[in-house]
Amino acid sequence: MTEYKELPIFSSYDLNDRFYDEIFTKDKKVRSIYETLFNLFSEYKIDDFQLLNEKAKASFLNQGITFQVYGAKEIKEKVFPFDLFPRIISADEWEHLEAGALQRSVALNLFLKDLYHEKLIIKEGVVPIELINSSANYLKQMEGLKPPGGIYNHISGTDLIKHNDGNYYVLEDNIRCPSGVSYVISNRAALKRTLYGAFNHYPAYTVDNYAENLLTIMQSVKPTGVDNPTCVVITPGIYNSAYYEHSYLAKAMGIELVEGRDLFTENDFVYMKTIYGPKKVDVIYRRIDDAFIDPMEFNPDSVLGVKGLFKSYKKGNVCLVNAPGTGVADDKAIYTYMPQIIKYYLGEDPILNNVHTYHCSNSKELDYVLNNIANLVIKPVDESGGYGISIGNKLSKEEIEKVKEVIKENPRKYIAQPIMSLSTHATYIDEEQNFEPRHIDLRTFTLLGQDKQFVLKGGLTRVALKRGNLIVNSSQGGGSKDTWVLKK
Amino acid sequence: MLARVANNLFWMGRYLERTEHIARFMNVNYFSSLDAPSEVSQSRNFVLKSILFLVSGEIAEDKNVTDEKKVLYDVGLNPDNDFSILNCFKCARENASGSRDLLSTELFESINSLHHYITNYPSEHFVANGLDEFTSAVSRGIILLRGKIIETLIHDEAFAIISLGMNLERASQVIRIINTKYVDAKSSKTEFHNSFTNSFEWTTLLKSIQSFDMMKRYYKKAPTSADTLDFLILNPSCPRSVMSSLNSAAKYIKILTKNEKRDSSSFLINKIRCEYSYTSIDEIEGRFADFIEEIIDKITEISIRIEEEFFSY
Repeated sequence: MTEYKELPIFSSYDLNDRFYDEIFTKDKKVRSIYETLFNLFSEYKIDDFQLLNEKAKASFLNQGITFQVYGAKEIKEKVFPFDLFPRIISADEWEHLEAGALQRSVALNLFLKDLYHEKLIIKEGVVPIELINSSANYLKQMEGLKPPGGIYNHISGTDLIKHNDGNYYVLEDNIRCPSGVSYVISNRAALKRTLYGAFNHYPAYTVDNYAENLLTIMQSVKPTGVDNPTCVVITPGIYNSAYYEHSYLAKAMGIELVEGRDLFTENDFVYMKTIYGPKKVDVIYRRIDDAFIDPMEFNPDSVLGVKGLFKSYKKGNVCLVNAPGTGVADDKAIYTYMPQIIKYYLGEDPILNNVHTYHCSNSKELDYVLNNIANLVIKPVDESGGYGISIGNKLSKEEIEKVKEVIKENPRKYIAQPIMSLSTHATYIDEEQNFEPRHIDLRTFTLLGQDKQFVLKGGLTRVALKRGNLIVNSSQGGGSKDTWVLKK
Repeated sequence: MLARVANNLFWMGRYLERTEHIARFMNVNYFSSLDAPSEVSQSRNFVLKSILFLVSGEIAEDKNVTDEKKVLYDVGLNPDNDFSILNCFKCARENASGSRDLLSTELFESINSLHHYITNYPSEHFVANGLDEFTSAVSRGIILLRGKIIETLIHDEAFAIISLGMNLERASQVIRIINTKYVDAKSSKTEFHNSFTNSFEWTTLLKSIQSFDMMKRYYKKAPTSADTLDFLILNPSCPRSVMSSLNSAAKYIKILTKNEKRDSSSFLINKIRCEYSYTSIDEIEGRFADFIEEIIDKITEISIRIEEEFFSY
């Protein structure tokens, strides 16, 4: 076989021994699962590929799958960068991931139920009480409340990476309002349009069935006594960065997309204002954060939420998806106890690996962290979106001292993990007109309902477009790839 | 359907229609003025005032129309002007976004691509050479959208509300265009010294509403004021006439109305429609300015009634 570097569009692909490359083995052979696709790509000239790339971009722009960048004078619309080289996951590998993601979501649900009722896991000393007491995301209002169907995290997003040992590790669980699933679906649509030839060679699962499963899950957690539940999606509005996703999901489920101002409560029931008057609403998939859902119960300044919504929820007259207060279980401090949590509730060993974590709240571990910052990633426990993260080997001496000070000030706020090396994947770089290795992760989507479970066979592969960058969030300049899960 | 979403759809329809009328009016008037018969109607000043009057409803002062490029920019692409084509379409798109889950993917994609066309159109080129290209493309784009609305949406309440918005806006724009040309005709004395019988402005008027050929076909003679007004206001077979728009509005309000109470929008539309069905052009001609006022008021009244009945809960 020809050396891949001889191909014009792979001429600047530099393998780095420190990372697991998804396409090439260490001795520069194409991994078997990618062989067909690689051969197909190697037939393209740079110009052909450039053209395909433009076509895919235009498709996103016209579909309105964009986010807004606020400049000094005007608001610009940009498309999320999308890479044409798909990520492929074999049937066996997926089986493991799916079982692991489901296991975590089920355990987290039991954990939440316990936290807001008996708190047995704390009483038995498995999870330290300080973690709960100090968590800003623990909602006292949820204590003793039984959500319809007994489900808290109906929708979970699990973020995974592949380390240089070739194994997957979970980086974090997202069980508040995990987003990104619409990109999974639109990435697939765009890739099918541009590279339809490639699909003939790979038996990949569809991702289009997400919405129908989500609707089934929503209907399964209807309030008691309701036969034919009216389900809606609530969005902060058209200027929210995830508005496309909200409208997509509502349309794909065929249900109304409402804003806070479209709803009101009366006698603890929730209604939407239609052209013919009020109509009762039973299940709400809310894409508004806890703090904003009800100004009477939470943030009083919220204009996004609905007055009295929480009281209706408490009375069991409406179901919120996901339940409020789930944030207590997905913060980075709780994450480190996931192996124990899974063992405690399910009596099983965790299927997916956790990254080893040092708690700065523990004085012994704090010492280790302060002495080894250069080899660690320091994360605040309660931020999302990749903010506030320091990566040890990227810091200067002065910066390390600064980070030390910051940690010492409030140790509970920080955890540290060994620098994990995200695997790399061939990614088309516009400026270079060439494929280069870029770091990727994977978010899977798991749905839990009353007696129903579903894991989307596919996921969001995010890619850090800046060379050497380990943070893949779209707010930090990340793009994404279509992800194919192969049938057996 | 949500009341807010219905409101979005209604205004999406109105703004789409408005965008097209402004684009067409600008195009027809600017180009027909180039070889207009009288010195007044041929002057840049005159046509620019006319265009500004249509979009703003105010007669511009002479000093404000000395810079042709600025006026064209203001009406076409100025983002700071509420009435510019750019902003009208932006409003249409924002309303579409707010009701996006009810629109077909095909329709929304087309709205987006026209939006990108308009916002990316270079304004220097527009004011120098691009007037025809831009306004024609915008008109074509809106016609395409109208097609997608008819061909890809379910013909249910959502469709009825969009169509209602479009028809009311059409009636309103047509009557405004008539008013503008009426003001023009009065202020430009043609060589026949009779601005009202055989005026160049009547031809421009008909062309602005895309009805010139059909009007000649219908009456088999050159346009006179009475025939033109009859055709554009009262003739139900002219698809752009006020009468025709009201008839369509009546058809769509029926889809939305469960029972026609005396204070319903449906009742009001049909009442007004009946009145114009039995009005003849001779009755209007003597009191033309008042009549225009009356129609504008009635269309506003319908719009407010619809808002009260369907959008405000």
